[in-house]
Amino acid sequence: MKNRKVTRSLTPYLWLLPSILLMTVFILFPIFEVFRTSVSKVSKAGIIKGFAGLDNFSKVVGSATFGMVLKNTLVWTIVVVGLSTLIGFVLALLLNNKFPGRKAARAVVVFPWATSLIIQAGVWKFIIDGDFGTLNTLLMKLGIISAPMNWTPSPAAYFAWECWVGIFVTIPFVTFCVLAGLQSIDEAFYESATVDGAGFWQKLFHITLPLVRSSLTVSTVLNIIYVFNSFPIIWTITKGDPANRTDTLVTYLYKQAFYKGRTGEAAAISVIGFLILCVCASIYMVISLRKEEQDA
Amino acid sequence: MPSKKKTSSAKILRVLLYLAIIVMVLVTLYPYFVMFTSALKSRAEIYAKQGTLLPIEWQWSNYVEIWKLAPLGRYFVNSIVVAGGATVIAILCGIPAAYALSRMKFKGKKFFLGLVIVSQMFAPVVLLVGIYKIMSMFHLTDTLIALVFVNAAFNQAFAIWLLRGTFQSISNEMEQAATIDGCNQVQAMIRILIPVAAPGIVTALIFVFINAWNEYTVALTLISSDILKPLTVGITVFNGYNMIEWQYLFASSLFATIPVVILFICIEKHLVGGLTSGGVKG
Repeated sequence: MKNRKVTRSLTPYLWLLPSILLMTVFILFPIFEVFRTSVSKVSKAGIIKGFAGLDNFSKVVGSATFGMVLKNTLVWTIVVVGLSTLIGFVLALLLNNKFPGRKAARAVVVFPWATSLIIQAGVWKFIIDGDFGTLNTLLMKLGIISAPMNWTPSPAAYFAWECWVGIFVTIPFVTFCVLAGLQSIDEAFYESATVDGAGFWQKLFHITLPLVRSSLTVSTVLNIIYVFNSFPIIWTITKGDPANRTDTLVTYLYKQAFYKGRTGEAAAISVIGFLILCVCASIYMVISLRKEEQDA
Repeated sequence: MPSKKKTSSAKILRVLLYLAIIVMVLVTLYPYFVMFTSALKSRAEIYAKQGTLLPIEWQWSNYVEIWKLAPLGRYFVNSIVVAGGATVIAILCGIPAAYALSRMKFKGKKFFLGLVIVSQMFAPVVLLVGIYKIMSMFHLTDTLIALVFVNAAFNQAFAIWLLRGTFQSISNEMEQAATIDGCNQVQAMIRILIPVAAPGIVTALIFVFINAWNEYTVALTLISSDILKPLTVGITVFNGYNMIEWQYLFASSLFATIPVVILFICIEKHLVGGLTSGGVKG
């Protein structure tokens, strides 16, 4: 009898076991390895040669480029997540209206989400090219410009374009999260608000926003993580060059690990990135949860 | 009078709404238009001083050339193996986990859900150093199996969120009735819950498949043999250091993109509702 009870209380964990095993071996173990490597002396061939304390960290933080790379990462994350959330939200409001062709419009919006980042980034690299890029051709045919423009005169311009591609591919996720929230709102709320004489902005701030807040929280937290860790766009367009001017933490650590053989330092950058993400995500969660409580 | 004013301002709003949507659709479609038209130009035309919007001569032969220049068929099969394998593993591990999370009470549920979120905080690219190490331990570097498992593991979170959202939206009365009739839990899940949850499961299947299909960074790092590359890495052969063969790059990109875009459109309706409802809510 007692045995049976024990098996029964173990049952849920048995159901979780395959999933736990999968994530332990291929995610938790690599996480452990990265943390271990970050505090180890590592040979060029990647073999651990003893404890190094915080040497790798001080080497990383002490290098002149690190500050710039960190700043790029923050700009990249804030600009891409901020603008894609704003645009994605507006787009969701638009698509939530009833109009002919709505289904087709929704299908089109999903395109960038379904396309591999490496392919999107490749197309945009082609579009903005100063010599044969199609953006110049298009704008000249439309009569907006009369001579080809150099769209990428500086590393900062390249970086701005990379942010634009990041925004472009992130918008659909926000839009569909918000749309899911919007569709669960009862029409009656709006009708009674209209009867009470509420205008567009009042309805937006007092009905729509509070009700889609949880969807927005999910999409923003996930986007902070994904954008912060996003690799293919910058890798395809500039590889972080010239001279690390367009590097973010992930492209920088990739080069450290796989081009320069500095595995220990690369692992230290991973750990730093993770700590930053933890702080940002928990601050965001705390703020938005507190707001939800205040509203309730 | 006031009512007339109202209808005319409503009309203006309507026009603005349409304009905004048309602009957004055009901007979204623009890169695809560029891909499609450039894939049909000759190299000379792509690099010509005078750019063209549409190809002067439609070079459908580009689509034949790419098959001669790169083992695209092989890349395609590799992508299918990686994405298919990762999907099967992620769903087979995800279904029992989502079932336990939605149907049972137990200690550590919150902890497990937290673990799932943490697993998302480390993108594969950040963990590559560790992933590479574990794959060398198992002698799995430069194999498709490595890609299958890494993709399955990193998509586990989405699979669990989507499946849990689906299972929670289905009442468990039928399953309880079945267990009273002598079914055990596994039978009840397989015979009763899974058929009802099929649309949600298909959504999760396709979503994981697309993510694994589009994955680039891990494949770039773990695979060194040309014949083992999936499409995302394989097509970059046209993206050489000296000269980029844009027309071939785009022709093969479209070939890699169109199937998944169609799949995505099929599941678009079910996707996000599931993600947001199964994800964070404890």
